Amino acid sequence: MVSLLRNQKVRNALLQVLYVGSIAAMVLAGIVIARRNLADQGITSGFDFLFKSTGWDVNFSLLPATANDPYWWYFLIGIINTLFLGSVGLILATIVGTIVGLARTSSNDLARLLGRTYVDIFRNIPLILQVFFWYAIITHLPTPRSAHEAWGFLLTSRGLYIPFPNVGSAAFAAATVAVIAAIVLPAWLGRTSLLAQPIGQRRTIQFAAAAAALACATIILALGRLPDTPLLDFPALQGLNLRGGLRIPPEFATLAIAIAIYGGSYIAEIVRGGFKSVGTGQVEAALSLGLSPWRVFTLVRLPLALRAMLPILANQYVWLMKATTMGIAVGFTDFFMIVALTINHSGQTLEAIGILMAGFLAINLSLAAVFNRINKAIALKGNQLRG
Amino acid sequence: MEMVIVAPPAPGRLEDLRRRFFATPLQAVVSLACLTIMVFLVWKLLNWAVFSAVFTTSGGPEACQATAGACWSVIAARWRIIFFGLYPYEEQWRSALACVAVVVMTVLSCIPAFWTGRRIALVWGAGTGLFYVLMKGGVLGLAHVGEEAWGGLALTLFIFVTTCLIGFPLAICLALLRRSELPWISRTTGLIIDGVRSLPLISILFTFAVVLPFALPQWLQGDKLYRVILGSALFFSAYQAEIVRGGMQGVATGQEEAAMALGMRYWQRISRILLPQAMRNAMPATINQFVISFKETSLVVIVGFFEILASGNAAYGTGEWRFAYVEVYAFIAFIYFIFVFSLSRYGAFLERRMSVSER
Amino acid sequence: MISTNSTGEPALRIENLDKYYGTFQALRGINLSVQRGEKIVVCGPSGSGKSTMIRCINRLEQHNGGRIAVLGTELNDDVGNIDEIRREVGMVFQHFNLFPHMTVLENCMISPMIVRKQPRAQAEATARHYLEKVRIPEQAMKYPSQLSGGQQQRVAIARALCMQPQIMLFDEPTSALDPEMVSEVLDVMVTLASEGMTMICVTHEMGFARRVADRVLFMDGGEILEEAPPDEFFTSSRNERTRQFVSQVLGH
Ligand SMILES: Nc1ncnc2c1ncn2[C@@H]1O[C@H](COP(=O)(O)OP(=O)(O)OP(=O)(O)O)[C@@H](O)[C@H]1O
Ligand SMILES: [Mg+2]
Repeated sequence: MVSLLRNQKVRNALLQVLYVGSIAAMVLAGIVIARRNLADQGITSGFDFLFKSTGWDVNFSLLPATANDPYWWYFLIGIINTLFLGSVGLILATIVGTIVGLARTSSNDLARLLGRTYVDIFRNIPLILQVFFWYAIITHLPTPRSAHEAWGFLLTSRGLYIPFPNVGSAAFAAATVAVIAAIVLPAWLGRTSLLAQPIGQRRTIQFAAAAAALACATIILALGRLPDTPLLDFPALQGLNLRGGLRIPPEFATLAIAIAIYGGSYIAEIVRGGFKSVGTGQVEAALSLGLSPWRVFTLVRLPLALRAMLPILANQYVWLMKATTMGIAVGFTDFFMIVALTINHSGQTLEAIGILMAGFLAINLSLAAVFNRINKAIALKGNQLRG
Repeated sequence: MEMVIVAPPAPGRLEDLRRRFFATPLQAVVSLACLTIMVFLVWKLLNWAVFSAVFTTSGGPEACQATAGACWSVIAARWRIIFFGLYPYEEQWRSALACVAVVVMTVLSCIPAFWTGRRIALVWGAGTGLFYVLMKGGVLGLAHVGEEAWGGLALTLFIFVTTCLIGFPLAICLALLRRSELPWISRTTGLIIDGVRSLPLISILFTFAVVLPFALPQWLQGDKLYRVILGSALFFSAYQAEIVRGGMQGVATGQEEAAMALGMRYWQRISRILLPQAMRNAMPATINQFVISFKETSLVVIVGFFEILASGNAAYGTGEWRFAYVEVYAFIAFIYFIFVFSLSRYGAFLERRMSVSER
Repeated sequence: MISTNSTGEPALRIENLDKYYGTFQALRGINLSVQRGEKIVVCGPSGSGKSTMIRCINRLEQHNGGRIAVLGTELNDDVGNIDEIRREVGMVFQHFNLFPHMTVLENCMISPMIVRKQPRAQAEATARHYLEKVRIPEQAMKYPSQLSGGQQQRVAIARALCMQPQIMLFDEPTSALDPEMVSEVLDVMVTLASEGMTMICVTHEMGFARRVADRVLFMDGGEILEEAPPDEFFTSSRNERTRQFVSQVLGH
């Protein structure tokens, strides 16, 4: 027996069995105990509850939602809310981060100082504190009756009102797709079919594609426009309430702003790191070829920097997606809050937690897949530049 | 040995300024724009925070509402609740002392002389022990104060410190398990680490605070505070484990082979040869992780703890100071900023020093 | 199973040793017996399996077939045996592998202290003794990175000797060194040999082989192709590959 324990192979096998076994045992025991506890409370485990109606409302949804809708529909709403808030936050944060990051790499001392101050302040204050802060600010805005107005925008404690096209929702969705196509199409064309063409022609075709897509969007908007209304609907005070325009609820606005500002400070550092990693050699070589500074930037510095920062940026984006869970702090019904509410109302604890994990795993994996593809595309471009 | 450089005649101050900020028209525009923004912001900020601000409590909330500036009197009136939460009034000196103990402990552990496993463990053990005794009392003639009465900065620091204290050794264990040669151990550990990393912290805190009691037998449930700390430590360790593993990958394989050839056992190799080198490699990233973790401590407010953010909400939430939320948040932000900024500056300094010494 | 250290046992006995890396066979049926006090030099072209063979002797690599017995102790899955053998076998690496976070003295003391459980004073005395022997007593308080390559390799030898091993393995101890430092390391090894240490040396230093070796082994393709006393090996080898190799090495 003792000599058996001294055998390396026996030991290794035993260790593995013990380790995996005890973890599996712990998980299983937890599940068994939880099922028993829940059964005592009269909750039957299983996923049948997904088809029962919830009986409570969500305060934000891109899809139609009523308290009669089943749980699975609410989970879907939650995921879409998370993805929507995440994408808006991600785009805003990227814009902020790019501007600040460029300021930080600029040759101008004042711009650098400004950029650095921004990063130092907003990176070093917890996101949740910033969320609370912006929420307090927005909910303390004046009531609709005495709202601030600027360029058709109205800032009130009930939300931000912005001008919005007067079109049906289907037409609006179609137009959105067309606008996205206007951005994606040229990039995609640049990668695949046109590589053989000279660069000037390629540009023309890319522009044409973008213009066509945008024209499509305009036509769709014009056709889908609701009868007898102006194309753009401006919010305005009518009686005690605001009419018209699009209302962005305070919760959504808060989170989008906070994520944009906080995430922007991180992205700024990534952008700076990316540009720093581009050797001066390449830039000087390009300048010595007689390229204008602008072309050096778009043809040399930007692609090389993008390639360097994309992997880190991907991590940051995944992080930003997860940051949408701050929604629960202000009552925005993101995926996590829907899960929490489900547990509160239905008691289906284990199932809800399982759905939560699966949901985030799916979000993470699909984001990772998207970024891997972009990464590969960019890496290819980099090689062409070198070759 | 001296080199003689024939310097060009030093440019005058004005010339220097022109070159730095107005070299080209574009430069000039950028400079002017930045300058305008800066002057505007600094003036606005100073005006709000200093020139038109109210500093004394003598006028009460009414004095504040009359001015356009900041109302610092809310801090003067409510600082105790921000720092100490609901801790009994006469005992609050203990809470203050406990915070000082944590700060001293943090500063000590930034000094390289303390960077051996034993010393760092000693400093943190002693610091946390002191903190706990001071806060909880019940010995040495200190009155007993239960965890439910802890709050404010002290609670934030307690959660952070215990998170690190549990999470750090756990991270090392996870890292070692993940790089184990035994495939089932490393795969299972990898699954755990990646699983935890793919989840948002809030969901883990929520699970530990609300869901875990269902899945644990009665005698194992413990206090909600300690469950949340455990969850936060697990989250910390999943990230820190990858950092430690990165540090281990930076240690040459020859090191372990040499240790094996000298007859050292697994634990001896790990503790004497591998970890000291790996931790040194991982130092900057580790400090960064501490910074992130400190910021994330604030999330426990969501599962219902009275840490500094919640006590801040309470400080302005009651009747008379309802309007002074900006000042309260600014104050809390400032406290966080001091901790986080100094720690991250220190990390950056360390990183630079290490990259210099590598050359 | 642990067999007793009977005096009749050779220091090292290898029978039909096989070693695979995945599907690649790095060692094919190696047979070797080394008596106490014997000095063996192993040479052969790159990739021939020299390192693999001597790394099998103290289980830095695990063999897949055949037997290895060191000082009468069978090297098998028994962890007790592995520990015992590693304590008795010292090894010197091509790239020194000194512990960079410890001073030279600590490098030499750590293992006697934690493996042999020697008291600190005794470990330090031993360490200083061997540092003296490799002629760098004055460097004791320095860190490895502050030493030259030759000095580092001598520290590595001293570190191994501090465990007072009965067999020493050397894996190309001089091939990472600048030419002017090679001799200082070889001198130390020659002294060690003259004191009766059992040594197995992978090296291409043919001068050293001639002076010190009792036998020279030639390996190629994972096999021992030739085994002979140095005079015979260098002058009248029977094997074509060996003659070719010798002329190449001596030609340089
Ligand atoms: N860890 C490993 N994994 C896979 N193959 C290996 C490994 N180590 C060595 N090999 C292969 O085993 C063979 C023998 O390697 P070994 O290091 O023993 O050669 P060597 O005679 O010491 O060569 P050199 O003179 O270059 O040191 C080589 O073909 C090598 O590619
Ligand atoms: Mg070799």
